[in-house]
Amino acid sequence: MSDNDTNDDVRTDGSGTGIVAPDDETPTWRERKERTEGLARLTYEYFERSRREDQDLRQQSDYVERDVLAFPAWPHEMMRNLALTSFFVGMILFLSAALPPEMPHPANANQTPAIILPDWYLYWSFGLLKLQTLNPEISLLGGQKLMSDRMYGVIANVVVVGFVAIVPFLNKGSARRPVEQPFWAAVGMTGVVFSLTIAALSVQNLIPMGSDLLLDLSFLFPIVCGVITYAALRTMREGYMFNLNRRYYRLRPPK
Amino acid sequence: MSLERKDDHDHKGWMESRELTTLESIYLTTLLWLDKRLRIVDYLELLEDLYYKVNMQMPKSHTEQYNLDNKFWYWYPLYALGSFSTISYIVAAISGALLGFYYAPAAAASDGTATVAYESVQLIMGELNLGYLLRSIHRWSAQVMVAAVFLHMLRVYFTGAYKEPREVNWIIGIVLISLTLVFGYTGYLLPWSQLSYWAGQIGVEMALSIPLIGEWVAQLMFGGFTLSQSTLQRMYILHVFFLPFITTAIIAVHIGIVWMQGIAEPH
Repeated sequence: MSDNDTNDDVRTDGSGTGIVAPDDETPTWRERKERTEGLARLTYEYFERSRREDQDLRQQSDYVERDVLAFPAWPHEMMRNLALTSFFVGMILFLSAALPPEMPHPANANQTPAIILPDWYLYWSFGLLKLQTLNPEISLLGGQKLMSDRMYGVIANVVVVGFVAIVPFLNKGSARRPVEQPFWAAVGMTGVVFSLTIAALSVQNLIPMGSDLLLDLSFLFPIVCGVITYAALRTMREGYMFNLNRRYYRLRPPK
Repeated sequence: MSLERKDDHDHKGWMESRELTTLESIYLTTLLWLDKRLRIVDYLELLEDLYYKVNMQMPKSHTEQYNLDNKFWYWYPLYALGSFSTISYIVAAISGALLGFYYAPAAAASDGTATVAYESVQLIMGELNLGYLLRSIHRWSAQVMVAAVFLHMLRVYFTGAYKEPREVNWIIGIVLISLTLVFGYTGYLLPWSQLSYWAGQIGVEMALSIPLIGEWVAQLMFGGFTLSQSTLQRMYILHVFFLPFITTAIIAVHIGIVWMQGIAEPH
């Protein structure tokens, strides 16, 4: 390059900046992207497609930009948020002034307390650790248990959290309200009631009931509640959907 | 030609040509000084953008467009539960930082005598001015946060707000709820009272009963198979160092995704 280069400004011997102005041969960024291969190429093609998708959506005749005539963020919305926040913080302060925590005795490994409990929000998890009576004794192993009771409890926890985590992949579709999906509302109700009954199971020595009966109830009661929820929502469904549709059709009469 | 360097645009001359009040000239001098070093003008566009975002009017929501408020107003408090858990997290963080000035996670004996950790909590409760209230605020805001987080999850479940395209945020939420519970658990152990000790005992046993990696987990989280000083120290560092950073970052992502995707409104 330096042989026939007449431009004195450009030096490639290391003394200059080394930055050369783009000429006609320099590929544009677009050309560079089009020349890529493999995953980079796929990414480029996908992004081009989605950009076109957005463009098409905007050019569709029935596409309307949303109204922006509503509640101003500042100061109205912010003032409301501030008021709600201070009210809420005030509630916490009031609660903590009214009900200060107690202080139990120092740790003592030689003296097991009558009641061992975590905080209330872990009762459900603690209850799942006490399901050893449901750990099956498999006859093929000569009445042995496949896994220890403690491991059974830990796995019960993993199963519960895992089920909650995959709910969005099990329940698809556009239904949102409980009345539109009575089954999943019933599943939710069963879960909520089960979390309460299993918490009751974890404090079983505080509950005036035989432990066998309590165990049975802690599984039966949630199911009963779920069934009732399902029946109630199925009954409500017609009337509720009718009201809702009427509201929509008043605003947008069917053509 | 003088050897003195001169400003290309002679900002100083421009300042002197204007009749400025003291306040204005102090302001401009500071601005010039900073701009010469950081070139703030390059970022003005960002600031401007922010300004207009702050003054933006909220778009009409679905419920407003279809005039559904009279149908839905009683659901709205449930839509504040996410904010409530964030607010109580902030309250807990502030009160916790103040508690950290007085608490020492040391000398965790378990023979019924008061250890340093236990005594520092007693000092906070008994002798420190308003210390009782401070610990109470920390404890109650933690309880309220857990309650709000649980109710927030129920709201999201029963309004179907976890559906496409919000599955990722639901899973992040599960991670956050678990982190909240771990936060509560580690904090529960810190006073090293009877309740703390036996809750810790259950934790070690749970960790040990995990197949294959149980012993490793017990070592990592509890610093051994029995409760000792290192258990308390690990719980402390988890509670005041690891969990705050991790949880705050994930909360930011969680809220950021809600911002990007918009609230799943009732319909």
